[in-house]
Amino acid sequence: MPPRILKNLLAKVKGKGDKNITRIRRRRALADVAWKAYPRLQLLLFVIGYVWLLTIPSTLHGQRTYIDENALQPGQVNTNWNWGDVQRADRYLEHLELMRDRNASSHETATFISNEFRKLGIPSSTQEYGFLTTSGVVSGTNAYAVLSSPRASGTEAMVISASRLSRTSEGDGTPNLRGVATVLSLAACFKGYSLWAKDLVFVISDGYLDGMQAWISSYHGVTQSNLVAEPLQLSSGIIWTALNIDYPGHSFSHLGVFFEGLNGRLPNQDLINSFQIISRHTGGVPVLVYEHIDQNEFPDLVPDLVPQWLPDGIRRHDTTKEYAYRAQNVIRHVGYQARGRASGVHGLLHQFHIDAITLFAVPAQGPHGFHAIGRVVESTLRTMNNLLERLHASFFFYLLVGSTTFMKIGSFLPAPVLVSTAMLIGGMGAWTRARWTRQEQAEYATEKGEEDRDVPAERWVERSRPIVPALFVIVYTHALGIVLFHLCTRPWIAAGGKVSSSTFPGMSATNGRQLASTLLFATVSVAAGAGSLLARSESSSTKSPNYMILKTFNLCLASTVISVTSVLNFSLAATLAVFMGLPLTLSVPSRSVTAGLAKFALYTLFALGWLLFTPGEIAQAVKNWEILRVWFAPFVCIVYTPLVLQAGIICLLRP
Amino acid sequence: MILTLLFLFAVCSICSAEETFSERLILSPNRDGTVTSSFAFTTLLRDAQPRDPAKLAEEDESQHYTLFPLALGQILRDNAITELHLTLNAGKWDYQNWGYPEEEGVGTGAELWAWMGEGAMQTADERWKNLRNALAGLFCASLGSLDEQRTTSPVLTFQPEGDLPQASTSHELRHGTLPSENVCTENLTPFLKLLPCKARSGIATLLNPHRLFDADWHGMGVHVRYLEGAGIEVRLAFQAVLNPVRYSGDKKRDWSLSSLFDRSIERSCPVAGSSDIVVQVPPFGAIITEPAPSANNAGSIAYDVRRVDKPLDVGMRWPDEAWFEYPLDAPPSALMIRRTLKGSDQYKGRLSVVLTNSAMAEVKTSYLETMPWLLQFYLHSLRVICDGIPRDDLVSIISYTPPVPHARPSLLQALLTLPANSTVELTMDVVKPFLRYTEHPPDAHRGWDLPPAVFVPLDANATGGRLRLRRVYTSVLLVDLAVPDFSMPYNVIIMSCTLIALIFGSVFNLLTRKFVVVSLAKAKRAAVDNNNHVRRD
Repeated sequence: MPPRILKNLLAKVKGKGDKNITRIRRRRALADVAWKAYPRLQLLLFVIGYVWLLTIPSTLHGQRTYIDENALQPGQVNTNWNWGDVQRADRYLEHLELMRDRNASSHETATFISNEFRKLGIPSSTQEYGFLTTSGVVSGTNAYAVLSSPRASGTEAMVISASRLSRTSEGDGTPNLRGVATVLSLAACFKGYSLWAKDLVFVISDGYLDGMQAWISSYHGVTQSNLVAEPLQLSSGIIWTALNIDYPGHSFSHLGVFFEGLNGRLPNQDLINSFQIISRHTGGVPVLVYEHIDQNEFPDLVPDLVPQWLPDGIRRHDTTKEYAYRAQNVIRHVGYQARGRASGVHGLLHQFHIDAITLFAVPAQGPHGFHAIGRVVESTLRTMNNLLERLHASFFFYLLVGSTTFMKIGSFLPAPVLVSTAMLIGGMGAWTRARWTRQEQAEYATEKGEEDRDVPAERWVERSRPIVPALFVIVYTHALGIVLFHLCTRPWIAAGGKVSSSTFPGMSATNGRQLASTLLFATVSVAAGAGSLLARSESSSTKSPNYMILKTFNLCLASTVISVTSVLNFSLAATLAVFMGLPLTLSVPSRSVTAGLAKFALYTLFALGWLLFTPGEIAQAVKNWEILRVWFAPFVCIVYTPLVLQAGIICLLRP
Repeated sequence: MILTLLFLFAVCSICSAEETFSERLILSPNRDGTVTSSFAFTTLLRDAQPRDPAKLAEEDESQHYTLFPLALGQILRDNAITELHLTLNAGKWDYQNWGYPEEEGVGTGAELWAWMGEGAMQTADERWKNLRNALAGLFCASLGSLDEQRTTSPVLTFQPEGDLPQASTSHELRHGTLPSENVCTENLTPFLKLLPCKARSGIATLLNPHRLFDADWHGMGVHVRYLEGAGIEVRLAFQAVLNPVRYSGDKKRDWSLSSLFDRSIERSCPVAGSSDIVVQVPPFGAIITEPAPSANNAGSIAYDVRRVDKPLDVGMRWPDEAWFEYPLDAPPSALMIRRTLKGSDQYKGRLSVVLTNSAMAEVKTSYLETMPWLLQFYLHSLRVICDGIPRDDLVSIISYTPPVPHARPSLLQALLTLPANSTVELTMDVVKPFLRYTEHPPDAHRGWDLPPAVFVPLDANATGGRLRLRRVYTSVLLVDLAVPDFSMPYNVIIMSCTLIALIFGSVFNLLTRKFVVVSLAKAKRAAVDNNNHVRRD
């Protein structure tokens, strides 16, 4: 029997009399509370969402990494790589350096590499390719070799690759000679053993990213309209995992792991964790995330991110340093993932469901060299060789904040989702406000011709909500986005360079591009402003103002985009949440035209500022779209910019 | 007593006179430094006939064998099998470097095919099922999985190697491949038990599992055929491609029996009618180490194991080589076939077969695909491109049996014409069906192995008569099918149950609820009026 207090409480909630009437009253009261509290709820969600985003690098979150797939068994083998293999790598390096010094053509180098593979008894071939892009033709020659493992049926394969250009400064042209030499010498070493259960495919791709894109597309028989590539002469089975070796310096102190792939794809975390364990225990080389030096290893080091003006007690405090170190990694990660960029050659393989990472030998005076990297790569490959199935455990969503610390999806995903929920609530609120307005009771009474004795001074009246003008504006802005994207991929914006100087004689390439960008900015801004005419009709007491409907759609659309993106590409969703959350919520029309125009200009700058301030970024994004099919450039032009422009148009509409 | 013993001895000698056993090992060095070793152990049961399937219901005559493997003989007679071929192979045969194999069945995994007479109470399919289950037990292999989903009857490619008895009216072929079968010691041990001398003497001594299963390629085969006028022949074969360059520390390709097999022949098998080792001698550079051969033909030398001094350890050296240098030029291969599955989609893909004919004459070849229903062909999308030019006239389809999902594989037999010195690419769109969730194997994310395609190049000069055509196997394929996330079935079950409960609950609520008009009390009206905007009942 429940206690009396509970009974009384229940009776109070249930009320007396007809229970249906009570129920309806209760429902109305609740709705009333929700209506009154929604701006506060919205604010609360915004605050929680943004604060959560800020706490991501803190030690509140995160747990130690572990191996989920039992078959991997990392670091359980004796490696066969020895000093003889190191000496052979040195000899390959001498040859490659000689070829570099005499400026050997890329075809010549590829042929040399292919011949070296053949001398080892491994079937090898070369592949020529060319990409036609806005900024010209990108061409080169890949060399690759397929070592069919003894007794294996050749249905499964692993890839060991090195690009000819290192990823240093995102492919600034530093050659990856030692990486190539390592792969060649590893091939010679692996040929001598029968323990491989999968075929080994060695790929020396030309250029930084373009060579591998051509090779892996041909391998999977995928055609790309602007790619001309020779068909591959050798084939193997399905590739499950791949390692890319990047060793640009003379020696290295740490091995950095790079894992972000195209369009925000990530490899299975087990691969990173296995490599980390192997490198630490088999190779004796500490592992870094990217090339960020871990402050735990060097206690005197203060990460650059910590501001100089902070008092020394706070600056040198462990918590501050740890926060700054993690923030550094998270920012780097978001920089790659949000822009859909691959942080190395490995990133091109993710699109074909291949788990791949890049091992980056962080250039230093020492102490490690070929001996350490060879052992680490061999042992990591042996671990990959153990796989009986594709890596499939739920380890694809993670945030690697340190080399041994990671965050599970549950600890970072809610942040952007909360922001998007706040926006959704704002949108729903606007929708309801568009419907209902308060009116003087007298006016209401005369309209309805109704007499009532105990009426309040004001009451709510319904209005119709015309959605067509708002939809026109939305369709118009997105269409404008498509035009903008089309124009951005034209040579005079994307490339600048030679085309500009020929179009605008007597003008330097940079100036030409600046002029073109400014013109485009002005045109699109004016066109967007003109879009406000589509929804400029007067509001009346029976019709809701257009800006409210537009705001509803704008907020709901933006909120949907953020929540859907959050499970595909967390970084992009978080960036969108930061850039669109508050600004879109705060857009309101002004009574004065000047104020409205000023606000519109601000929003335009927010939507299109990238045209003026980041020319390099545009060229890179367009190149990535054309060669690697990275969706970032079209996404910004067709989704982000129109959404913010819609918020700007709201400011121009009548209140 | 003595008389009885004498009588028994006489009976046995009569028996052995009806059975002959011969063994042979062919060793041939290859251009990439490897050595192909082909063992063949042949037992001939003189004047024996395959059992007439019409008499399967009657009591069988008793079987007394001395050399012929009884375990195998019982299986053959119980199911009235006329011809049987079972191969269990591991690895990918490299036709370019290793040439054409002595034993032609080199498809990866297990392959079983049998010709059976008709006219029995039991249908051919029932006997085929008994046969594969019996062989699975005999050889410890998962041949039981060669069920209806993998069984076809490709009569054009798999013609009988022996004769079919005239007595029976017609014969049926059953064929199945299991590419995912792994071959290891547990298959070799029962294989050795079928030999009259086991692995104790004779050439079979060399069958050392440690070395054979470390080879670049290894495979065993059991072949039973009926030869008109001779009898029933059982050939137990083992092939291995051993790699002396890998074994030796100094990267030389010199080999000897003891270096390849870690054994030498200490004594010969007493019941063997012939026991030969044949060594193919490459044109230059190689010298044969002792002992002196029994026979010396052009290009090959032979040893009679029964006569030469024991222990016998044949070997070959290349004295001029400091280490083995791999040949850089392209291998001299007339026909090169590469079959791949393109596309990374989980729904559709493209099967691509590239055939390079480097001979100066046109080659006609038959093409066989026995594909489980896990990969379904879009036959209309079959395209042939010869050196970049569309040439759909080069292929003619002889027969096509479409697959039945969850039941029957597809069978495609076609004839290809390869112009002289050309590369022909054959492409065909394929779809990957969805499996029922119980049909997924325990290692669902590995994918499914698909059997090799088989080509039989037809000799242009053949003019009738009995011509032995040789089969060429392509590599096997792995196909990724859409796999549900098996790692969280309970989450999925809970989630879907919740959804169903929610939907059911609300629908049930709406269906059973009574809708009435409720008028709110007048006195409360003023207080409630403010909320009226939310909903008007």
